[in-house]
Amino acid sequence: MKKSALWAFMLMLVTALFLAACNNDNSTTGKDKEKDKGDSTKTSETAKNNVVTFGTDQAPEGVFDPAFNGSIVDSYIQNFTMDGIYDVNDDLEYVPNLATWEISEDKLTYTFSFKKGVKWHNGEELTGDDWVFALETIANKDYDGPRFNYVENIKGAKAKKAGKADKIEGIEVVDPYTVKITFDKVKVNNLENLWSYPMPKKHYEGIAVKDLSESKQVRENPVGVGPFKVKKVVDGEYSELERFDDYWKGKPQLDGVIVKVIDPSLAAGAFQNGEIDIMDIRPQAVKELSALKNVRIEETNGVTYSYIGLRFGHRDKATLKNVADFDKFKSKELRQALLYAINRPAMIDAFLEGKAKVANTVVPRAFWTAAEESDLNQYAHNPEKAKELLKSAGYVDINGDGFVEDPKGKPFKILFGHYAGPAAFEGRSQAIIQAWNDIGVKTEQATGTLIEFNLYNEMKKNDDAALEAFFGTWSTGADPDPSGLWGNDAEWNFGRYVDAKNQKLLDQGLGEEAFDKDKRKQIYVEWQKYFNEELPALPLWEGLDLYGINNRLQGVHINAVGFQTDVYKWYVEE
Amino acid sequence: MLQYTLRRFLSMIPLLLLISVVVFFLAKMMPGDPFAGEINPSNTNPQYIEEMREKLGYNDPIIVQYGRWVGKFIQGDFGKSTVYKKPAAEIIAQRIPNTIFLALTSLVFTYFFAFLMGMYAGRKPYTLGDNLIATYNYLALAIPSFVAGIVAIYFFSFKLGWFPFNGSVGVGIGEGTWAYYMSRMHHVLLPALILGLMGTASYTQFLRNDIIENSRKDFVRTARAKGTKESKIYNKHILRNSIIPIITYLGFDIATLISGAVITETIFTYPGIGALFLESVGRRDYAVMMSITMLLSFLTLFGNLVADILYGVVDPRIRLD
Repeated sequence: MKKSALWAFMLMLVTALFLAACNNDNSTTGKDKEKDKGDSTKTSETAKNNVVTFGTDQAPEGVFDPAFNGSIVDSYIQNFTMDGIYDVNDDLEYVPNLATWEISEDKLTYTFSFKKGVKWHNGEELTGDDWVFALETIANKDYDGPRFNYVENIKGAKAKKAGKADKIEGIEVVDPYTVKITFDKVKVNNLENLWSYPMPKKHYEGIAVKDLSESKQVRENPVGVGPFKVKKVVDGEYSELERFDDYWKGKPQLDGVIVKVIDPSLAAGAFQNGEIDIMDIRPQAVKELSALKNVRIEETNGVTYSYIGLRFGHRDKATLKNVADFDKFKSKELRQALLYAINRPAMIDAFLEGKAKVANTVVPRAFWTAAEESDLNQYAHNPEKAKELLKSAGYVDINGDGFVEDPKGKPFKILFGHYAGPAAFEGRSQAIIQAWNDIGVKTEQATGTLIEFNLYNEMKKNDDAALEAFFGTWSTGADPDPSGLWGNDAEWNFGRYVDAKNQKLLDQGLGEEAFDKDKRKQIYVEWQKYFNEELPALPLWEGLDLYGINNRLQGVHINAVGFQTDVYKWYVEE
Repeated sequence: MLQYTLRRFLSMIPLLLLISVVVFFLAKMMPGDPFAGEINPSNTNPQYIEEMREKLGYNDPIIVQYGRWVGKFIQGDFGKSTVYKKPAAEIIAQRIPNTIFLALTSLVFTYFFAFLMGMYAGRKPYTLGDNLIATYNYLALAIPSFVAGIVAIYFFSFKLGWFPFNGSVGVGIGEGTWAYYMSRMHHVLLPALILGLMGTASYTQFLRNDIIENSRKDFVRTARAKGTKESKIYNKHILRNSIIPIITYLGFDIATLISGAVITETIFTYPGIGALFLESVGRRDYAVMMSITMLLSFLTLFGNLVADILYGVVDPRIRLD
């Protein structure tokens, strides 16, 4: 017995020794590597430190022309390597960047004047031709990217797409720096819906449109006009970007940027180690990150909001119209009562670490068109008021089971659906169900459990009967027009809310009078007030955009659009 | 033997076909398609998504889709990834070297530790050491590799800083240089250790039982009677006999080489087949998903065949006819 114990001990020792030897090996290889690294960047010790790492939880797809990419990570990389003709400022207004524009008297023609002396990464000068080339490419019938909707408003673009024309009729190149664009219809957001990124015409020369998205020029050695250029791409791992000295706004202060893929569960550790310098983070990560001394968390109003959709009907797939034929939520008092029942500040604290703001419309505060809170009913948590509203609308408990019946005296029950995800989803789904049950509206979880995300989307799309009320989140773009989500016949109006005044106001917001900015704001404020009163969906909160940033990285300006405004101004301070 | 091998290869065809039917239909039955995640009010319009679905044939009856896929697959066209917009074969080929490198390294660890532990446990069965080894093995078998992975990253990467925690190579190191290969080695060690140390159970216990069994055989008694040293008996006479059945395990390892690290690769952001597979499932990248599944199915069947043949080679009493 004694002997065998001794043996075991010996064995453990041997294993430990072996392990140690292993580790020793590794640490020496580690040192070797560092030494080698040092050698390769011998020129200056600061060179290595003047590079920042941006962490993302998804691998880039490696499509480096904005006209072809569909992934968020690719577009992050493009924000380092590309510039557009316009930019979006902190108030989500569109401001000139590579070009300025003038609008004609009839508001149909925009004349763009390009800046002179802007250089592509390959040294060529940027001209209006490059931009026209991009527009023509996107309108080509062989074009296989997803961006045709950014060109289709130009006069004659649809004809070209259909193969009936060689060129887009509405484009006129006046001289290398001046381009005139004529649109189909007068719409105030024609500019917002116009493709803004030029393509390097010379670089793409000789490639057929249908081969472009797979070509080396797009995927391996892309050329942009932005402050950084792509140096090296290691698939599924990282992309290395280096400074472009001739950037038209000025030489970038950093030597380079590395975009690195990292599992989100390791984000905090990677921040602590200094392996990543900046990353957009989730509210759940705030606690862990704020404990780190070398990291600061910056937040800003975003363009994301969450809401509870209510079903009013279905979408007719043949006519592509929404049909309101489901009456459960027809009573306005009922809808208001449902919102009064929910304690939104408490939910924000419990499930979002307080990193969200209560919303009472579906236009986030970051927009210049957002209504003042004082103009909106606040729907502060008030179960008593909710019960009163129910009573006044005829929803009373007749059979004494503790739950209300509908005005006709029939049993009333809501099925509420939520998609699966992080642990907090279960809690917030239950909180909403509980809140409604508490005011006497019987509510059950649709399908009895959280629904897998893809299935959930499919159910919403197909107007599944199980989803009577459903949780939803939208991230809107910078265009303040909400008609893509809430228009009467919009595909993504998942509640299938159809209302004449709603559509009329949305149309007005895009019409001729909306060219007057104050007038446009007024129209949208009116729409928000109407939404706030009618509650075709229950607005819950708008998320704050959160970024973890290493303290050594300075000069980062974040706004609702993102964190990549003027990246050439980023610098490192040790 | 040759006839047997050929016969086995032919019988693989219906099996693979059957697998492909099941996998294809299951994949298509998953809710959503590659465009489900692309709904973005500011960027894409519903018409484009509809157009693409039509173009890719997602609106056809599933039988038609299957027929089209099989037809192309047999001709060597594995389809085009909807995520990377490149041929699936090209993407997989790019990732395979990473995975094989990781798998081989982890196998070395597995074999090494399994031999060490198995030999000791077989020599001293039912002792404290043997029990400890068994406890460790079953614990390792029970702990999911992603838990072990995260714990290891926490200690060895974040606390001690010995290993990098993600990627397959350091940033900005030129390919082909000495530093490049060292960096690759350094990056592969931690995931390989996790995979290797967590997978020792079957080998260890197999070896242990075989050694115990052999140690009771007549030739061992004879050797002892002749006064051969105990260590020599174990390390030479018994071990040689006990290794033989383990060799056949090699066949099964062929499939594990590629598939064993699905979760581990993802945790370590190690760009191999496993991470690619998980991603393709999540994003409904049918071409890549189906190609990898078929590749793994084939390798599993092939591995079984190799194992069977090796049995015959190692043990002449087994006849393959």
